Amino acid sequence: MSLTTLVQQLANGLSLGGVYALEAVGFGLIFNILKFSNFSHSAVVAICAYFGYFLSTRLIHNFIITLIITTLFGGLVGVVIEKLVFRPIRLKTASTTLFLVNSVTTAMLVQQFFSASLGSNYYAYPEFMKQTAFRIGSITLSKTYLIMLATSAIVLLLLSLLLKRTKVGIAIRASSTDIRTPSLMGINIDLVISSAFFFAGILGGITGYLIGMTYSVDPFIGKVVLKGIIAAIIGGMGSLGGGVIAGLLLGVAEALLIAEVGAASTPIVIYSAIILLLLVRPEGIAGKRYLVKA
Amino acid sequence: MAFYIKVLEITSLYTIMVLSVYLMTGLTGLFSLGQGAFVLIGAYTAAVAYLRFHVPFPLTLPIAVIVGAFMGFLIGLPTLRLRRDFFLLVTFGFGEMTRAALLHLSQLTGGALGMAGIPKRVGLPLLLGSIVVILFITANLKRSRFGRDCIAIRNDEMAAGMMGINVYRQKIKVFVISSAITSYGGALYAFVVMFIEPNLFDWLESAKLIVITFVGGLNSLTGVIITSMVYYTFGEFFRFIDVWRDVLLAFVVLLTTIFRPNGIFGDWELSLRGLFRRKHAAER
Repeated sequence: MSLTTLVQQLANGLSLGGVYALEAVGFGLIFNILKFSNFSHSAVVAICAYFGYFLSTRLIHNFIITLIITTLFGGLVGVVIEKLVFRPIRLKTASTTLFLVNSVTTAMLVQQFFSASLGSNYYAYPEFMKQTAFRIGSITLSKTYLIMLATSAIVLLLLSLLLKRTKVGIAIRASSTDIRTPSLMGINIDLVISSAFFFAGILGGITGYLIGMTYSVDPFIGKVVLKGIIAAIIGGMGSLGGGVIAGLLLGVAEALLIAEVGAASTPIVIYSAIILLLLVRPEGIAGKRYLVKA
Repeated sequence: MAFYIKVLEITSLYTIMVLSVYLMTGLTGLFSLGQGAFVLIGAYTAAVAYLRFHVPFPLTLPIAVIVGAFMGFLIGLPTLRLRRDFFLLVTFGFGEMTRAALLHLSQLTGGALGMAGIPKRVGLPLLLGSIVVILFITANLKRSRFGRDCIAIRNDEMAAGMMGINVYRQKIKVFVISSAITSYGGALYAFVVMFIEPNLFDWLESAKLIVITFVGGLNSLTGVIITSMVYYTFGEFFRFIDVWRDVLLAFVVLLTTIFRPNGIFGDWELSLRGLFRRKHAAER
């Protein structure tokens, strides 16, 4: 691999990793509070990818405005999913397995709904910019990828501020440590969970928009979330920072592997590496050990 | 008539897969999104043995079962120590890996084109016979100490460990049995459908197996079989609304988990004694 391609793949990998980091954090937010793997995050991503597509092609052509509307819409979708799918079983104090079943089912529902109603067609977002790439020396950088990286960075910064400084953020962090005690301290736990789903949905909305804009939209777009979940696991559940680092690493590793061994063998290498890593450190890079309690 | 036989064949085939998952998901509470990988392993082992190495048909089935069980053991060894959710994800990765590997080994497996020209060697009698045998094994395991250990692990892993159950070993046993049965189903698939390709059983199909178990009822083997029969027969009859039936299934699942968390059939189990007494012989 020459130096030029190396730098180019690094840049691409970092931007892709930024999106994985977004997914990992969106996934981790819910995991920290409710302690289950929220596969329905992929449903939010898919819905927002389609929403962003129809919004930007049919109604408004401005990039920033459509991104913001899609993002807010994503938050809404997250809250609706929580209300319809998870709240009923949470109020019955069901086991975590039911949460898992419902989240997988929601992912399945959305994927099959889109492939049934819109078919397996590909929808491409409109071109927002005249020039799609620019060059520094002999290196060509894609503008879409740079926008992806910048957006992810800004969003992650804002989110960390929000979690550290605001009242809601502190309540979310308190509930992550222990879900019962905050409710004794007068915190409305239902509201905290709803807002966690709202923020996770916002991250899902941005992910859907960015992924849809970079590639194209099809019913199986939700599958990208699995990369984010993998990043969250490698990074260690419960550690959002670990998830961000793992997401970036995963993106870079994937870009380099695709350049080196080809797109077909990349999943084999990545998944075997993950199985090996979990064998050595089951709690991930930065995570704490969790015991499965009833 | 031929159409109805075909429908019944396909339904029985998938019911075998659902049964293979019952022991793992229903009793032990392990979720695997990688059962598709074992279907593929079974199908490809049988097909490759038959077409490339000219192994006689009766021998291909045991070979597929042994290979499947061995792969299950290999995958289970590192992953069953993990949290349940991680196990789910790693098995998903294993499914993707298997698919990629089959695409890669195109000289042996035909790659994306799949393998055609497998003769139809399996008919309805063998399929129904297999269901009866597997059902007999599973039902007996459920009522034995083995099954009760599984249920204990499902309900509370820590407490089960405290009571002297070797949780890790029990999980490995269950996973190996499960993957052996799934591979057997895969091998049958190859000789029923006569064509196999790497995409024949993706994560969605694996997820459906889990979901059907939950709709039928974790504690009710009868309920699981009825649900699976109804779902897959329905699917074969209404091919024209193919994708919508999955949307429908998803709705049914959500409604079931919300309003009847123990599944549609709850604890109900069909048994001779129960029929004569006209009372539900509920057992946990």
